Amino acid sequence: MTMKTFNIAAAIVFAATVSSCNHNFDQIPVHETPRVEYAPNMYVSEAYEPVTLVEDSVNFPEAYNVMPYNNGSNLRLPVAGTIKRGAIPYHISKDSLAYANATLVAPIQPTEQVLAEGQVLFERFCSHCHGKGGEGDGPVNDKLQGVANLKSGTLKAVNAGHIFHVITYGKGRMLQHSSQLEPLERWKISLYVKEVLQKK
Amino acid sequence: MAKISEKTVLNMSRLPILMSRISRSILTLVAFSFVTVSASFAAETDTTKAAAPAATPALNGKGEQLFKENCKSCHKIHEESVGPALTGVKQRHDAAWLHAWVKNSTVVIASGDKAAVALFAKYNKAVMTSFPTFTNEEIDAIIDYVESVPKPPVDVPKGPTDGTGTQGGGEYDTVILGLIVVVLVLVLVAMFIFLSVIKRYLKDKEANLDAEDKELLNQKFDVKAFVRSKGFITIVVLLFVGVTVKTCWVGAQEVGVEQNYAPVQPIAFSHKLHAGDNQINCNYCHTGAYKGKQSNIPSLNICMNCHTYIKKGPNTGEAEIKKLTDAYAAGTPIKWVRVHNLPDLAYFNHSQHTQVAGIECQKCHGPIEEMEVVKQQSNLTMGWCINCHRETAVNSKDNAYYDRLLKVHAESKKKNDMTAEEMGGLDCSKCHY
Repeated sequence: MTMKTFNIAAAIVFAATVSSCNHNFDQIPVHETPRVEYAPNMYVSEAYEPVTLVEDSVNFPEAYNVMPYNNGSNLRLPVAGTIKRGAIPYHISKDSLAYANATLVAPIQPTEQVLAEGQVLFERFCSHCHGKGGEGDGPVNDKLQGVANLKSGTLKAVNAGHIFHVITYGKGRMLQHSSQLEPLERWKISLYVKEVLQKK
Repeated sequence: MAKISEKTVLNMSRLPILMSRISRSILTLVAFSFVTVSASFAAETDTTKAAAPAATPALNGKGEQLFKENCKSCHKIHEESVGPALTGVKQRHDAAWLHAWVKNSTVVIASGDKAAVALFAKYNKAVMTSFPTFTNEEIDAIIDYVESVPKPPVDVPKGPTDGTGTQGGGEYDTVILGLIVVVLVLVLVAMFIFLSVIKRYLKDKEANLDAEDKELLNQKFDVKAFVRSKGFITIVVLLFVGVTVKTCWVGAQEVGVEQNYAPVQPIAFSHKLHAGDNQINCNYCHTGAYKGKQSNIPSLNICMNCHTYIKKGPNTGEAEIKKLTDAYAAGTPIKWVRVHNLPDLAYFNHSQHTQVAGIECQKCHGPIEEMEVVKQQSNLTMGWCINCHRETAVNSKDNAYYDRLLKVHAESKKKNDMTAEEMGGLDCSKCHY
């Protein structure tokens, strides 16, 4: 074999093996434990980040954020007696549904934009039980049972304040949704149910 | 003329040699297709599921309509639900009692009626919604409808029949592929026999063959000489170096990339069941997804919105849900394992992408609603981020923030949209600071 053919063969073989270097990460197999990391001390935040649990106190002493006496988790309830910034206290108690229905007035007008936002929120937070049309026929109702038909005569007769109160505290099999929805969002849903769904 | 015939004779005498060559190449071909078919065997996939038939109830006038609008969310006709099964209600109570109860059950209970008090206690003191607007005729119409619905036949478990139905197409393919494999194996065997028969025949006539053909017949592969040859050694060394370089290069690229990471969670939560089958929106549980940097792992009270009542699931029965309710009762949070761990050195904000840009969750997270166990769908590399920022036009609809930028952009670049890159989305400090 001459030097020239040798060089050509070398080039071809080398190019063939290395050419597929444009790597596709899809080929990484499904794995249950994390793989190799480079400089992991740049991966974790020393400042507290929500839903980030750093359990390795040896390598990340500053970022270690496991709370004792809490199942090794760092999820905590808000401190008792505190409210978050901007929170509007709601003074009517759970059993005063009729009072809420009679007295509560929505702090926002049912403008086109409010109703559109109400529809988005309704479809994200309510429709899996109450159904897209509000008839209590969402897919979850088959399992949960007891989901109210929002278009029934009884519920057509109530005010938006009734719906606001029920979203806040729950009623029957429905539990409170105040941790998921801000008061204004609850009002948007209530107005959407009253002004759009029940008039369809 | 004579020359031609001589050549023909010569060719005739070489026929067995030719055939031996041909059969060798066919052998190679057959072996290759055998491998291909086996590979396609392995890659075979399932066929689609059969659709469930929908039931069509008989119409029964106003009673049915009223029942569906007002009663069915808490009452089933033949089974207990939130309230009692309604069939046979006429035998259990008289008409006047039923009228009073439906219009306002609280009054009936307060009056000390024995049946009412017992019923109230039996169903966990859940107050039935009052229907004061109903007339007696309407209540009777509902009861008549309820009594007219026949008891459905007991459901035969349909799992096994479903199974054979879905496998039907797959089995047919398997049989065909199996037959092809069997035929190919037979051809392979036949070829080997044919080759050895020809060789034996030629050995007998070896004296008649010319030198070239003799060499072909008796050739033996000298492994030692081949391995020691310069060309072979060169190629092996080059292959070794090439594979090593490539492995190191790929390995270095994959450092810190966690695509397809699917950790085992403390509770076998199925996104397919919740987000897929039950169509619960992502945002219902991941409440921060449209509002903040993080999309939030739901706290247990959100799980309990349904699982206060739903204690048994289709995948794992009661075992996994019990872990949840026990943890809730004890007040201890579940230690879910975080799947998408973007390093702290890169800034990412959910709300900017979901609320402002209007990107679907699935664009980055993949078909979550089809995943039993969630895995990281995207590689979350910087190249992946930047590629999208280069290609995607900014969602500027109804967003006054972008008005001036768009105007300036339209003047200089002569087009009506802009990508994140064009408004400085690739600056290092946008994500790294």
